Amino acid sequence: MIAQQLVNGIVTGSVYALFALGFTLIFGTFKILNLAHAGVFMSGAFIGYFAVLNGLPLWLALVLAMIGSGLISYIVELGAFATIRGSGQIEFGALISSIGANLCLMSLGQRLSNTKVLRFPFETFPVEFYEFGPVRFSFLQVIILLVVVVLLMAMMFYLYKTSFGRQIRAVSGNERVASLLGVNPGLVYFQTFFISGALAGVAGIMIGLSFNSIHFYMGEPYLLKAFVVVVLGGLGSVHGAVVAGMLLGIFQNLAVAYLPSALTETIIYGLLFVVLLVKPSGLFGSEGVQVGVARR
Amino acid sequence: MASLVLSNVSKRFGGLLAVSDVNMEVPPGKITGLIGPNGAGKTTVVNMITGLLKLTTGSIKLGDRDISEAEAHEVAFAGVSRTFQNIRLLPEATVLENVVIGFHVHVRSSLFAQLVGLPSSVRETPKLFERGRQLLERFGMSRYADHPAGGLAYGHQRRVEMMRAVATDPKILLLDEPVAGMNDVEATELGDVFKELAASGIGLLLIEHNIRFVNQLCEQVYVLDSGAMIASGTPQEVMHNPAVVAAYLGTKK
Amino acid sequence: MMNLVYTYQPLFDYFLLAVGFAYSQQMVLRAGVFSIGSAGFASIGAYFVAIVVKDHGMNAIVALLIATLLGCVGGFLLSIPLARLRGVFQAIATLAFVQIVVSLCLYFDELTGGPQGFNNIPKLVGTWHLLAAVLVTIYFMYVISRSAIGRAFDALRQDETVGATLGISIRKYHMIAFVLSGALAGFFGGMQSLYTFSIEPEMFGFTFLVAALTYIILGGRGTVTGPIIGALIMSVLPELARPLADNRQFFQGILMMVMIAFMPHGVFDGLVLHLRKRRAAARDKLFKEAH
Ligand SMILES: Nc1ncnc2c1ncn2[C@@H]1O[C@H](COP(=O)(O)OP(=O)(O)OP(=O)(O)O)[C@@H](O)[C@H]1O
Ligand SMILES: [Mg+2]
Repeated sequence: MIAQQLVNGIVTGSVYALFALGFTLIFGTFKILNLAHAGVFMSGAFIGYFAVLNGLPLWLALVLAMIGSGLISYIVELGAFATIRGSGQIEFGALISSIGANLCLMSLGQRLSNTKVLRFPFETFPVEFYEFGPVRFSFLQVIILLVVVVLLMAMMFYLYKTSFGRQIRAVSGNERVASLLGVNPGLVYFQTFFISGALAGVAGIMIGLSFNSIHFYMGEPYLLKAFVVVVLGGLGSVHGAVVAGMLLGIFQNLAVAYLPSALTETIIYGLLFVVLLVKPSGLFGSEGVQVGVARR
Repeated sequence: MASLVLSNVSKRFGGLLAVSDVNMEVPPGKITGLIGPNGAGKTTVVNMITGLLKLTTGSIKLGDRDISEAEAHEVAFAGVSRTFQNIRLLPEATVLENVVIGFHVHVRSSLFAQLVGLPSSVRETPKLFERGRQLLERFGMSRYADHPAGGLAYGHQRRVEMMRAVATDPKILLLDEPVAGMNDVEATELGDVFKELAASGIGLLLIEHNIRFVNQLCEQVYVLDSGAMIASGTPQEVMHNPAVVAAYLGTKK
Repeated sequence: MMNLVYTYQPLFDYFLLAVGFAYSQQMVLRAGVFSIGSAGFASIGAYFVAIVVKDHGMNAIVALLIATLLGCVGGFLLSIPLARLRGVFQAIATLAFVQIVVSLCLYFDELTGGPQGFNNIPKLVGTWHLLAAVLVTIYFMYVISRSAIGRAFDALRQDETVGATLGISIRKYHMIAFVLSGALAGFFGGMQSLYTFSIEPEMFGFTFLVAALTYIILGGRGTVTGPIIGALIMSVLPELARPLADNRQFFQGILMMVMIAFMPHGVFDGLVLHLRKRRAAARDKLFKEAH
């Protein structure tokens, strides 16, 4: 029983991590809280759904969802963030502006779905199970885990082993200096938002498949969970988001067995609140966090 | 009136000892100079006095009162005011509003009166604005009263900041490079304002790069280099101190 | 004529409620506190009033006063830990607070009705009550904005270090902002309960706080008129044209992005600042011509 919940928790958690990764990547690089990440996540699910509906194979739908939501994420950057960069109020401005972008995406989703819950056609995905002793994996769970692990490794490689990772870090340090060093900030913005969006899109289609339910407001609960994940992991920390995502997924799945779900939510957000107060840099973060005007 | 006295004050930023073991005094009614090359630790000293930075060691006293650990707003209430090296005005507010915010320490109406609009609060506001206008008059800035402060010329912004600091009616006024970027005429004009302020009993601490300007105004000058106080005395003494010539003038010219 | 009134009365009522919540949101933003916690206080006020008036027959006015007080106390308590945080961290912490309130309302379903909501609340509040409440609120907002508190808020919003070195205690004034914001949200939350027959936990969640933020972004953070303008735009715009109503969210989203990019101070505050600059420029020109 516990082992089963643990497995389910890891699968849920890996999707949380996938969602939170793009969110924390944008924050770590540009100090922007991108609330439109929820809308991009939903877009991924929608693109995947319509691709399948039009007879495309699932793997192709997944690729299309990645590319599509990556591009949508970049459009969000152009419409919501590029316009206010350098205005000196990026922190507050970006929050508002990305809420606006999110409303737009949600509204489009609502139009496309006629405010209905969409479901994948029957037998889009083989319903098969594998037993390992007391633990049962569904085929979907295996695929989710595989995809997440592959994407994570690809992203880590990209971020830490290629020149692009260095470019991202250069731009996040100081955009002007970075351009003097020959880094093209425009390209860095594009790649960062594209990657962030692509990850969210995959998360979207995974969640859509898991619950076989896709709707225009599906992003909000995951966005709220993402706050918990990224703060616990340390805002901007990629590794932290993965670990915290897993922990949250496991906790939620274990709690299902013993606690009413509303109380689980109370505990999760209570934890978020407490961590912010006690260690705002997160459980794994080390970066100092700006606090008020007090002698320092 | 009370002197501001720093005893054995140090400040460490991680591995960097930005200020080490500084002793100095800012007496009332006089202009005291604090000079030193870039990165000497002058601004750090001001930040420690005004409650923005923790002291690593030492103590700061205003008269009999120890303000080493007072919070920024308590330091202001105790009678220490300052300007910032990189001008910091309230950009959306008008010049007059910027000055009136300096009267915050003089507000007498109670919080309750302010919240529900009792006469004590309602009448106080126009009075403070009137006092603000008088201060603008004194600094020759009346015609800019309703200008947004952010849009003023550099020299005028410096004046607004100074008026705001003076509005608190301080015992000690800390001026962090107040004439930086001004031409000689403007600087001399402001120098006269400083003398006036000192004559009214305020103790001024004047931080400057320009040694000549400091020498004209100050009786006592302190020289800081890499966080350490390398000399102090009258401008003549300091000018002829070989350590100063080596550290300050040597690196500068 | 009567038809017109009937058609637009609910719209007007919602506009009035919106103004109340907008002031609650503005109060914190004005003081430079990045709190989005108003929704939580509104929820507490709404549920308290609904429960005591319907289930315990408490007098509505007393209930509203206690709801206001609850908002005050809540704001005070929240301000203590939050004094340590700034910027996005403050925003996320208050968001957590809002989510905690939502989930608690869902959990204590015997008291609150849980996800089904709390229904059949006596409708004791009508247009005139709402109007009176908003007018009284405007009076207080005006008085506060003209007082030392208002000036301290404006200073802290623009540069809290400067404010502190001029004697403004950041902790104290942020606390005042939280308390007042909580009071307004608690009170108008109670009013909403007695106006709408039924409330549910999610009414005071993410959507609520987005709406409250929108009013302020549209109207402005630093003036008493700003929130009225913001709430007015959001209430009237969808009524102007059918496509606007059908795609309400879409246009709200576009409006938020456009405002932040091109009029970051909001319509009304932006106008005030613009006029100020124009007048200053005109006066400079006169002065130059005279010399
Ligand atoms: N908050 C801080 N954290 C770390 N180091 C700091 C901080 N503030 C200042 N320093 C360092 O302390 C040293 C002294 O800086 P300070 O600004 O006090 O010099 P200064 O004498 O005012 O120089 P300037 O003439 O350029 O204004 C410098 O090396 C600076 O880099
Ligand atoms: Mg300096």
